[in-house]
Amino acid sequence: MRGITKVYPNGVVANDRVTLTVEAGEVHGLVGENGAGKTTLMKILYGMEQPTAGRIHLRGKPVAIRTPHVAIGLGIGMVHQNFMLVPEFTVADNVVLGYEPARRGFVDRARAVEVTRDLSRRYGLAVEPLARVDTVPVGVRQRVEILKTLYRGAEILILDEPTAVLTPQETADLFRAIRTLVDQGKTVIFITHKLREVLAVADRITVMRDGRVVGAVPARDATEETLAQMMVGRKVVLTVDRPPARPGPPILQVRDLTCVTEAGHRALRGVSFDVRAGEIFGIAGVEGNGQTELVEILTGLRPATSGQVLLNGAPLSNRSPREVRRRGTGHIPEDRLRNGVALEASIADNLIVDRYFAPPYARGPLLDQGVVRRTAEELIATFDIRAPDDQVPVGALSGGNMQKVVLARELSSRPRLLVAAQPTRGIDIGATEFVHRLLVRQRDAGTAVLLVSADLTEVMALSDRLAVMHAGEIVAVFDDPRVLTEDEVGLYMVGVKRARPADRASGPVPQERQP
Amino acid sequence: MTIGDVLASIASVTFVAGVLRVATPILLPALGGLISDLAGVINIALEGTMLAAAFTGVAVSALTQNAWAGLAGALAVSALVSLILGFAHLHLRADLILAGIAVNFLASGGTVFALYSLTGDKGTSSRLASLTMPYVHVPVLRDLPVLGPVLSGQNLLVYVAFAMVAVVWVFLYRTVAGTHLRAVGSNPDAAATAGIDVRRTRYLALVYSGLLAGLGGAHMSMGYLQLFQRDMTAGRGFIALAAVFLGGRHPVGTLLAALLFGAADALATQLGSLRIPPQYVQMIPYLVTVAALVVYGAARQRAAGRRQRAMANRLVRTEAGG
Amino acid sequence: MTVEAASPAARALDRAQILRQRRRQALSQAARTVVTVAVALAVGFAITVAVSDRPALAFRALLTGPVSSLSRVGTWIEDATTLTLLGLAIAVVFRARQFSLLAEGQLYLGALAAGIVGLHLPLPGGLHLTAGLAAAALAGFAFGLVPGALKAIYNANEIVSTLMLNVVAVRLYDLLLTYWLKPPTAGYTWSDPLLPSAILPRLAGTRINAAAALALAMVAAVWVLLYRTPWGYELRMVGANPHFARYGGIPTRRVIVLSMALSGIPAGLAGAHLVMGVHQRLILNISLGLAFEGIVVALMAGNHPLLVPVTALAYSYLRIGGDIMERTAAVGSDIVRIIQATIILLITAQLTRVRRVRRDTGDDR
Repeated sequence: MRGITKVYPNGVVANDRVTLTVEAGEVHGLVGENGAGKTTLMKILYGMEQPTAGRIHLRGKPVAIRTPHVAIGLGIGMVHQNFMLVPEFTVADNVVLGYEPARRGFVDRARAVEVTRDLSRRYGLAVEPLARVDTVPVGVRQRVEILKTLYRGAEILILDEPTAVLTPQETADLFRAIRTLVDQGKTVIFITHKLREVLAVADRITVMRDGRVVGAVPARDATEETLAQMMVGRKVVLTVDRPPARPGPPILQVRDLTCVTEAGHRALRGVSFDVRAGEIFGIAGVEGNGQTELVEILTGLRPATSGQVLLNGAPLSNRSPREVRRRGTGHIPEDRLRNGVALEASIADNLIVDRYFAPPYARGPLLDQGVVRRTAEELIATFDIRAPDDQVPVGALSGGNMQKVVLARELSSRPRLLVAAQPTRGIDIGATEFVHRLLVRQRDAGTAVLLVSADLTEVMALSDRLAVMHAGEIVAVFDDPRVLTEDEVGLYMVGVKRARPADRASGPVPQERQP
Repeated sequence: MTIGDVLASIASVTFVAGVLRVATPILLPALGGLISDLAGVINIALEGTMLAAAFTGVAVSALTQNAWAGLAGALAVSALVSLILGFAHLHLRADLILAGIAVNFLASGGTVFALYSLTGDKGTSSRLASLTMPYVHVPVLRDLPVLGPVLSGQNLLVYVAFAMVAVVWVFLYRTVAGTHLRAVGSNPDAAATAGIDVRRTRYLALVYSGLLAGLGGAHMSMGYLQLFQRDMTAGRGFIALAAVFLGGRHPVGTLLAALLFGAADALATQLGSLRIPPQYVQMIPYLVTVAALVVYGAARQRAAGRRQRAMANRLVRTEAGG
Repeated sequence: MTVEAASPAARALDRAQILRQRRRQALSQAARTVVTVAVALAVGFAITVAVSDRPALAFRALLTGPVSSLSRVGTWIEDATTLTLLGLAIAVVFRARQFSLLAEGQLYLGALAAGIVGLHLPLPGGLHLTAGLAAAALAGFAFGLVPGALKAIYNANEIVSTLMLNVVAVRLYDLLLTYWLKPPTAGYTWSDPLLPSAILPRLAGTRINAAAALALAMVAAVWVLLYRTPWGYELRMVGANPHFARYGGIPTRRVIVLSMALSGIPAGLAGAHLVMGVHQRLILNISLGLAFEGIVVALMAGNHPLLVPVTALAYSYLRIGGDIMERTAAVGSDIVRIIQATIILLITAQLTRVRRVRRDTGDDR
């Protein structure tokens, strides 16, 4: 790709004379912060966007890639950051989507299942062809995406942030699969902003910043520090500066919590732990092992099947979200776009959802716009939210700025308990640092912080105590996470190891147990 | 007539035959509505499409003195109406609901205008010698003891309607085109990245939807009645949409919902003979639908609750046992 | 993007740029709207030429008819009053993203309530008017509770339930009118005229009645409700993202029920206006799908209450112009419907495009 420039109709320059060379049979890492233009560049290569200027050469020949269809024909496949799967279809149906084996217009289901099995075996990507996609875990969905591109005969695979949702083990599996692919002659373009991963898997690395290519280096000559400097344009600190915690009394006490979902799935099987004032209690675990349900119960979004939740010693389970908030809970939700913000509403409207009904915002039957806007302007300044004013729809902000809106709201309510679920998902290094600093500051102000994160590096760097969840249970609690290695914790996460029950008891039960 | 007579008549074959007849002009547009809904383009214009087809069928059959030509005309006009809707939404990017309402206006005004131009009458087509689609006496069915009179002797389009349930099912769940259509409706981005032309698929869905509504319209004026009346579809296009949702967006569910409407409608006619004001009985199908919605919702909630309780109990037992 | 705090100068620059961009967009949007209306009218003229012997006369009637005499202006305002009220009703529920189409049924029950009060509850002067309007508003509100509760409790699809309940309301109206309110001697299916104390006073010499002022008051009330009260905030947030609303502690079920019920107030008042102002008695088929026109009015106004009277006036202008065209130039109301449909199609296409462009500006890289 030579001299690619992309200017959006609104004047945003996403790519500025970008030149990218990828050689056959290599794993090429493409790194840069969110908004650096990586995804746009790949969408151009995959025919989803048209460049404003520049040319693409494939195997020496100039090509015009007007649609994904053309890209597929040229042997280019893309695994998107948000999976492009049809939830109601089976794995096999998704793999063959668009290119179904057919006899006179009728889909040959048996053949679809067969080719899915073959591909799955050949590239070591285990899937169950007949399972419905909306019932399989994220890691499997990603394999389906990769199989999809292979089925269509992809020689060049673009993987956009493929590890964002994976565990260390799943990530390792993916890297092995990438190696298998390259060994069988495929070329892989691997987009990420996680430097450790790109160093582990890539042969060569291209770094982008602000829509431009900063440089391309062989992976063996690069280190995390040099790459980070190229990406951000300044030195970054990769560790979290965190003085020792001075924990106070327990704020949150969870006892024997169980949860059965509407679908009849046993999401939680007797979870107990305490979070004390002034500490960050981390929960690590592969996604889908009950963390989501746990957070939903703690924040009033889901009823518990049995067990107890106490906040400051008072029962809290099965209260409404408003009641839970009124008692001093803040919640940074794991799915920001679904729960955390209303995209089409203004920043001001997004900032007051937990307080609009109480004075000084509500005065008699009216909402005091003066107070609302003053508060909003203050929070925008304090949390450095990049926006022209408080009336801009939140949907117009970048991911990092959206998360700042959520943080501004949840932290300014001065919570006694802060439940932070995947707080840095999908945001860039700079914004991640900002979020980490805020969480530590909140802890130091005496808040009990419950941090749930699938990013093991993050949860280990931030937590004063660390629990690991597997299959709806807490399988280990560590009092000093600093002495652990990621691989060790990873073994607990996948259920290979579990601590003896004595190790995971968390203090005496404060009240009589419910039968 | 007494209540006893009415009850007896409900159990009669003519009543059941009536249900099939009344359900047909709901079932056909409902299947159309299902197809477009599954493709992610809700078709508010079913009503107008039916109306346009009903008129065209009468006009063409009267002019050519050929019922089949009338049917062909009705289908051609339905496809055209759907293309107009598709163009407004998919090319001009008009709001789909507004565009649908506009197309309904267009059909309502257009049919009256055309009727007036053709006959000088703005109410009905009684001055036109229009034809009907044939009534079919199916040789084998006719001789069945009880079912014979129910199943045989209906208008051809009634059989077509019920056959269409199977056709639509096979199309949606067994063919490549149907699979693409559902993918487009469920996750258009996924479909697009798989090289499926989302816009083209939606155009086609609207056209199929229009053709089915057109069959329903043709049945209205060339079977159910033997003439065209202004605004004769009387909200059936909307009832059809209701049947799609009530039927859980599935062909078989849609069939059952359409039959429910048909049965309630036929019942209303029967009860009318008890000198009950017709308005009472005319409310029945609609109240039945509301009741069905409640029952359906309540049943689903109960089922979910039961599943949860069952799992919770098993959990308690296993923990007590282990 | 970098994440260190931007310098104040950089922030000011950002801000100026975005504001400039907004201005530019507003201008080009206005220009495009003018062009679209012109194109729509040209299409309408083309149709008129095709069907009329005297197209110029016919088209003049459509274009200038509604303002050609004081009484016609009155008819125009009267019609716009009904559509404003219905447009507000739709705007309220659509804002909460509840696709309730109950306005038609709420109009019928409002008309029925106002009619019964106006015929059978003799009260002194102003009190009688108030009672009639209040009864209509209450009827609309109460009827809205039904599909609201069905959705909140049983998760019943509101499009289906409201379409069904509309028919029930219309039949109930027919039933009571035919068997109870219609005097046995009446030649038509209609009631006696309302008691004089229940008839909305008219502006001297025109058909404009007090409901026009009421409609404007409702515009203000709905605006205040939506943008200046905690309750309207809840409603807008449920519409913008129901998951976010629930997460933030908003009682979403209550909002769903109340949005459908509150939208019944303007819809019920629209019914009262038809009975107490326009016809001054209950008549059969008092609406014939007016609520659909209310949907058009609300959607063209982007569900914004302050724009509703504007689009209602524009839309009524077309309706009344069409009536006048039919009477003066013998061009049928059916043709007018066709022209209306064409104009709706073109204008909504234009409006959606503008909104889409506006949304796209926020595109993340």
